[in-house]
Amino acid sequence: MRRTAQRRDGRDRRGVGIESKVEGFNERSRRAIEDEALHAAVEVHSKNTVNNRNRALRALPDAPELRERAYHIKQETMANLDRYLSQMAEAVEARGGNVFFARDGEEVVRYVGDLARRREARVITKSKSMATEEIELNRRLQEEYADLGLKIVETDLGEWIAQLAGDTPSHIVAPILHMSRHRAAEVLSGVAGEKLPPNVEDLVAFARRRLREKFLSADIGITGANFGVAETGTIVTATNEGNSRLVTSVPPVHVAVMGIEKTIPRLKDLSVFLRLLSRSATGQKITVYTNMVSGPRGEGEADGPEEFHLILLDNGRSKLLGTEFEEALYCIRCGACLSVCPVYRQTGGHAYGSTYSGPIGAVITPLLKGDEEAKDLPFASSLCGACAEACPVGIPLQDLLLKLRRRQVDEGLASKAQQIAFKGFEGAMRSPAAYNAGAKAGRLFQGPLSQRGLDRKIPGPLKGWTDFRELPPIAERSFRELWKEGF
Amino acid sequence: MADRKEFLTTIHHRTRAGRYKPTHAPDVPWTPKDEPRKEERIEAPPARFLEELEALGGQGLLAESLEEASEYILDLAREREARMLLRWDVEELERLGVDEPLREAGVEVAVWRDLEDPRQIAARADVGLSTAEWAVAETGSLILRNGKGMGRTVTLLPPTYVAVVPEERVLPAIRDVLEKYEGRLPNNLCFHTGPSRSGDIEMSLTIGVHGPGDVHVIIVRES
Ligand code: SF4
Repeated sequence: MRRTAQRRDGRDRRGVGIESKVEGFNERSRRAIEDEALHAAVEVHSKNTVNNRNRALRALPDAPELRERAYHIKQETMANLDRYLSQMAEAVEARGGNVFFARDGEEVVRYVGDLARRREARVITKSKSMATEEIELNRRLQEEYADLGLKIVETDLGEWIAQLAGDTPSHIVAPILHMSRHRAAEVLSGVAGEKLPPNVEDLVAFARRRLREKFLSADIGITGANFGVAETGTIVTATNEGNSRLVTSVPPVHVAVMGIEKTIPRLKDLSVFLRLLSRSATGQKITVYTNMVSGPRGEGEADGPEEFHLILLDNGRSKLLGTEFEEALYCIRCGACLSVCPVYRQTGGHAYGSTYSGPIGAVITPLLKGDEEAKDLPFASSLCGACAEACPVGIPLQDLLLKLRRRQVDEGLASKAQQIAFKGFEGAMRSPAAYNAGAKAGRLFQGPLSQRGLDRKIPGPLKGWTDFRELPPIAERSFRELWKEGF
Repeated sequence: MADRKEFLTTIHHRTRAGRYKPTHAPDVPWTPKDEPRKEERIEAPPARFLEELEALGGQGLLAESLEEASEYILDLAREREARMLLRWDVEELERLGVDEPLREAGVEVAVWRDLEDPRQIAARADVGLSTAEWAVAETGSLILRNGKGMGRTVTLLPPTYVAVVPEERVLPAIRDVLEKYEGRLPNNLCFHTGPSRSGDIEMSLTIGVHGPGDVHVIIVRES
C-alpha cells in the first residue's frame, strides 16, 4: 500500500482538485508532450472516442434538435435556478431525504465528517464524482477527521486504481487513460500482495473481488450526480460498471454531492439529456446503469439506504449566473470537447493541473478559482473551435476562452500570462514529437474545417495560439454539419 | 452552515442582476429551411429490444409462454452450474412456477422476503431473477423500481442476472417511460442496460465489473 501511494515521478497528486494551487500549465504540458507513451494513449483514446461519438450521433435522427433543446433548457434553468433548487429541496425532503446547501468545499467536509461521526462510520465507498474531486473531499476528510480513521474507497475501477497510486483522474470520463496496463498491474499488485499479470481481465476480476468486500462493509456511500431533476427531487447517476448503483443500494447511508448547475427542471427534460450524454461521452445509447434516486428506502424494503442526504454545492458557481460566462455552467461533463481538442490531445489531462481538463477545464477552472490562480489555462487552446462544435449542449467554448483572455487583459494579468504561455508553446514547437503530433492533429481537423473553407487558417494547434486574432469566427451550424457529414 | 434562505436569495439576485443575453445558441435557428427532424419511430418494440440487448452482449428470448420462460431459466441455471438462485418476491414470478423445477434440479431458491441477512445472500447467489417495470426498445434497457420484495441487490450482486418481462411492458423510447411517471418517480428507479462493463484500463472492454456480466431478458408473449 505504502509502496503504491508513491508515484513513479515522485509527485503525489492527491492535492490536485481545484482547492489546491493550480500551477503553471506550461511546465507540465512541456513534460507531458515529451512523454510519448502518454501521448500515444491519449491519441488512441481520443480517436476512438471521437469515432464512436460520431457514429452514435449520426444514428440519432433528431440530434441537432436535441442539442438545441438542451441548450435552451439549461438557459431557462439558470435564469430561475433559485426556484428550481428550492423545488428540488422540497421534493427530496417530502420523501424523507435531507438537503444541505453548501457554499463551498469546507461546508461539505464538515457535513460529511459530522455525519460519519454520528454514524460511527469506518468505511465510505464512493462512486465517480467530479464535484468531490474538485473540493478534494477524500484528502480533507482524512486530514480534518483523522480521529475517525475513515477508509474512503473509490469504486470506479479507474478511480480506484488512481487512488491507490496516489494519483488523480486525468479525464472526466476515462480517469486513468494516462496509465498503461503494466502500470495498473503494478499498482494492483501492491494491494494484492502478490504479482498480478498485466492482463486486463485478471486485473478487473481482482478489482471486482476486492471492491465487493468494500461495498458490503461500507457504512456510507457517496456519489456525485449527473443530473438533478427539480420537479421530482431526483439524483441521476450514470455508470457503466454498476458501482453507483451499488454505492446507492448497499450502504445504510447515501450522500449525493451535486453541483447546483446540474439541475434540470422537469422529468421530461431528462430524456433530452440522457439521449445526448452517453452518445457524446462514449458513443453508447445509454450508460449501462442510469440510476435515479429520489429518497431513502421505502416501507418494508430490505435494501437501499435508510438515510439519504443531498448536498447542493455552490463553490463559486453562482457567481457566473447572469454573466457572460454563464454558459460554462451548462456543461454535462461528457468529455467530448477533450477528445477533439488538439492541445489536450498533446498534453493529456494532468497538464491542466485541475479536476477539469481540456477546453471545459480551461474555462471552468479560472472561473471557479479566479484568474490569478489559473491564468495560463485560457491560453491552453488553439481556438480552433472544435470543442464548441463537439459540445452536445452547444457551449461556445472558444468564445468563453477569448472572453477569459480579455478579462485577464482588463485585470492587468494578461501580458505576464501570455509571456509564460508563449514560452511553453515555444518549447513545445522545438520538440519534434510535439511538432509531429501537432501536424497530425491539424490534418485531422482539416477534413471538417475545409468543408467550410477554413483549412488555410488552421495550420496546427500550436500555431493557432500565436495568431488567434486572425482566425475567422467558426460557423454556428457546425454541429449539424458535422453530424450530417461525419468526419 | 449555510442558511438556505440566504443561499437561495443570493442565487436569486445573481440570476436577476445584469442578465447577459448570449449571442450564441446552437444550430437549429440557423437552418430554418430544413424540416425539423423527427424522432425515429420504432415499429416492433420487443424485437428491437432484443436486438439492442444482444448488440450489448446480453441475451434475449421472446417466449410464447411462461413455460418456455421457465424452461430457459432452468437450462441456464444448469449451464451455469448454479447452486443458488435468488428472486424477487412478486406475483409474476410466483406464476412463473420455476421454483419447484429448480429445486428438483438441485438449485437452492431463495426469495427476497424474511431473509436473515439479505445482502449476504445476494452476494452468495449465482443467479438473480426479477421482473421489470418496463423495458425500452430504443436502448435495450430494463426499468427496475424499488419496492417491498424487490431487492435492488438481487439484480446487482449475482454474476448472472435474468429478467422476465411481459410483452406489453416493452415501450419504444426512454421518453415513453418517463411519461408514465408523470412527474413523480419511485424512490429508486434504475435503467439497466446490458452487462456491466468497463473500458478503464487501456480502453479494453471488460464485462462484469461490479454488476452482472451475464444478462438475460425473457420477453413473454402470452396468448
Ligand atoms: S463543455 Fe460540452 S463537450 Fe465539454 S464536457 Fe461539457 S458538455 Fe461535454
